[in-house]
Amino acid sequence: MHIRLLTLVLIAAGFSACATRGPLPPGAPPSGAPPSGTAQPETPGQAVPAPPERPAPGAPRQFHIGPAASSLVTQARTQAGGGEFGPAAATLERALRIEPGNPLLWIELGRVRLAENNAAQADAMGRKALALATGDAGAQAAAWQLIADSLRARGRDPEAAEAEGRAGTLVPH
Amino acid sequence: MLLAIGIAALAGILYLVYLDRLVTRQFEGRRWTLPAQVFAAPLELYTGLALSAAQLEQELQRLHYRRAERPERLGTYRVAGARFDVALRPARFADETRNAQLLSIVAGPQGLESLRDSAGHDVPVLRLEPLLIGSIFPIHGEDRIIVTPQEVPALLPAALKAVEDRKFDSHHGVDPVAMLRALWVNLRARQIEQGGSTLTQQLVRSYFLSSRQTLSRKVREAIMAMALDAHFTKADLMNAYINEIFLGQDGDRAIHGFGLASQFYFGKPLAELDLSEVALLVAVVRGPSYYDPRRHPERAHLRRDLVLKIMADQGIVTAREASAAAHQPLGVTGRPAGAYYPAYLDFVRRTLRRDYHDQDLTEAGLRIYTSLEPRAQEQAEQALDRELTRLDRQRKHAQQPLEGAVVVTSPQSGDVIAIVGGRNVGYDGFDRALDAHRSMGSLVKPFIYLTALESGHYNAATVVQDEPIDVKLAGDKHWRPENFTHQTYGPVPVVRALAESLNLATVGMGLDVGVPKIAQTLQRFGLSQSPAQVPAMLLGSLDVTPLEATQLFNGLANGGFHNPLRAVRAVISTDGKPLKAFPLEVTQVASPEIVYQLDRMLVQVMERGTGRPARALLPANLVVAGKSGTSSEFRDSWFAGFSGSHLAVVWVGYDDNEPTGFTGSAGALPVWAHVMAGLGTDSWDAPMPDTLVDIHIEYPTGLRVVPGCADDIVAVAVPADAALPSKPGCGFPDNANPLTTILDRAQQWLRGRAH
Repeated sequence: MHIRLLTLVLIAAGFSACATRGPLPPGAPPSGAPPSGTAQPETPGQAVPAPPERPAPGAPRQFHIGPAASSLVTQARTQAGGGEFGPAAATLERALRIEPGNPLLWIELGRVRLAENNAAQADAMGRKALALATGDAGAQAAAWQLIADSLRARGRDPEAAEAEGRAGTLVPH
Repeated sequence: MLLAIGIAALAGILYLVYLDRLVTRQFEGRRWTLPAQVFAAPLELYTGLALSAAQLEQELQRLHYRRAERPERLGTYRVAGARFDVALRPARFADETRNAQLLSIVAGPQGLESLRDSAGHDVPVLRLEPLLIGSIFPIHGEDRIIVTPQEVPALLPAALKAVEDRKFDSHHGVDPVAMLRALWVNLRARQIEQGGSTLTQQLVRSYFLSSRQTLSRKVREAIMAMALDAHFTKADLMNAYINEIFLGQDGDRAIHGFGLASQFYFGKPLAELDLSEVALLVAVVRGPSYYDPRRHPERAHLRRDLVLKIMADQGIVTAREASAAAHQPLGVTGRPAGAYYPAYLDFVRRTLRRDYHDQDLTEAGLRIYTSLEPRAQEQAEQALDRELTRLDRQRKHAQQPLEGAVVVTSPQSGDVIAIVGGRNVGYDGFDRALDAHRSMGSLVKPFIYLTALESGHYNAATVVQDEPIDVKLAGDKHWRPENFTHQTYGPVPVVRALAESLNLATVGMGLDVGVPKIAQTLQRFGLSQSPAQVPAMLLGSLDVTPLEATQLFNGLANGGFHNPLRAVRAVISTDGKPLKAFPLEVTQVASPEIVYQLDRMLVQVMERGTGRPARALLPANLVVAGKSGTSSEFRDSWFAGFSGSHLAVVWVGYDDNEPTGFTGSAGALPVWAHVMAGLGTDSWDAPMPDTLVDIHIEYPTGLRVVPGCADDIVAVAVPADAALPSKPGCGFPDNANPLTTILDRAQQWLRGRAH
């Protein structure tokens, strides 16, 4: 009985999946247009104004580091170059407080962690960067490369090769 | 007889030698127990920082910078139009020191426009010095900041000598003339009116912690003072006095030494005190309680002016300078600087107790750098107090005032930037943020939905059944949960079930994915306890502290990455060596795809569901996500929610767990909204993973529609390959295949019945 139900569900899922792969409407965001300010709580479930459009998901973009964070990255590289990984990481944390959503800074910090043999954190920071790098093939490739290097540092060569492969397929815009 | 005299003389000599040894050892071995000093996060200034001119000035004044015609002295600034010229004090951070320097800042309407040094060069980024927010002092409560002779303004020792001990430079530890005069005055008055003690005697008295005024003690004190004077230089003794003497009381904390007294009364370093301020501190020496400038300003004022007059009489300052200083107000800060964030310090202490003994913290002079952001902390304190006062007015028959707690973090780093442990923020008592274990109610729901999304059987558009549920428990008992409204809503899409916090739909889904899985999700996100795996857990019968709830939600606000919440960034030794760092750590605990889908639904909680009343209190275009929580019988009112740059969790309730009558939306939500509105926070704007698509569905039915095709439409993120039935005739021709539609319906129905 269960198997039959499952089959039915799978068929349905298959059909509808095919069916919905038409052209999609432009991306709809979390609604950024709240009701114009009445203090009265309104009944949940009421229609809200159409949300404003935002760049379609997957639209290409390129991350840059702003001047303030950039000067800190320069300082961190000097520190890391001198083997001062703790201070370099602390400097990069300052940069991240200025631009917490910038994947390039997470990659930078991950590189410092890798240099001080903290491959687990380097890997996690690569993944954090990857999650932020949507739309930026260059940043995604750098994040995959960091993940690959972190995996290899832990002797997980097959996974590292796979991650490296992913990095290779991404072409910066 | 001679033998007796000899023995007495020998005993006397031995006693003298004993006292000499005692006091010398005490002085030489004197390592002042130095309480650890705790610092807030320094403000990073850089071009583009969203800080208005008014806010910049507030930040400078928080650090006790003063406006001046010319920024010549450290700790002053000049304002010319939008430009601030600031004479920055030298600063010590966890990782480096910065020299004193002149900085020109232009603050425009959009934020800081430029930062330049005195040579006109652009400064890319620069930190203001970190605010001292308190110290960790021992049980007996001595707190102090040690100063070196170079940090002491020359006026201070001069004034101390003039007022307390004119012959300090020439006497041998005691001043017999002064003592006799005091004795005479005291005999005539038949009570102790004059001290007549030298600074050295006062120092001895302070060392040995006895303040009884007996003759034998006086003799002992005099002998020891002479011994000290014989062994040490006057400069050493003066420096010891300046660091030792008691100058005020702040609750349990005894203010010792002029270094701390300067911070305590004026909020600035001793070196920056002017004549009137030095005179006030010297006035306080005679009776820190009697001449307390905050409690008895008139007395303190009179004595300060007397000190100024003595200084002028002694030729230390001119009569004109003294007179000008006497015309100045006392200049003490409204509330003592430091130790005003007891709930935050409590968290700092608990963090450090894992690595340090109490003695290290209270005696070793450590410098502790934290994540506290004073501006956020003050916003949170004010929002809580103001809103609780308003809510109390609605509960006219209540026997007790409402209480509450707030925790605010920067989710990407896990930095805890504010903690409010109750309404009485200066009170170092029950810290609700850390110690109130309260039922989390519907705050648990996002973790149920997350687990459901992970199962692969659900997405935001999946239709679930909101219908009566009867769970058989052990021993013929039954659990029959109900919705808040005591109604049932039938088939509803997942996004609506979460937005409106429908209990029955949630319990059905939770039972389907399994309570143990949900318990695992909570633990992955940082719940330290192992929750009781009972169905009632699905409605939040699980006790957490506000801080624990914050840890859980931080992972949602950070896209599925867990960071251990941190208050302490680094601990530095008294000589500047880094002892311990608490570096930024992240661990992925859920896939970004899953968390993104959930977070988009939590945005709908704010747009259409239980979080909606907050909209009116928030900036119009600010996108936020959150969830309300109400425990049974309204005992706990929660709200947890985040923007792109901040997470805040608020709890409101009574300490004795009596019902409050407030839901999460009515009690905690307005506090939360005021906290968020005050933070100047950025919209939640996480990038949508490539594997997801944005679609529109009809809010009541969950059917896919194109915009404009139905009245009540909501945008959700779902996996690109998700199977979604469309609303007939709503613009998806390739979905019009009747077989597909029927199968879709069957699928939806089956999922809805699955529990």
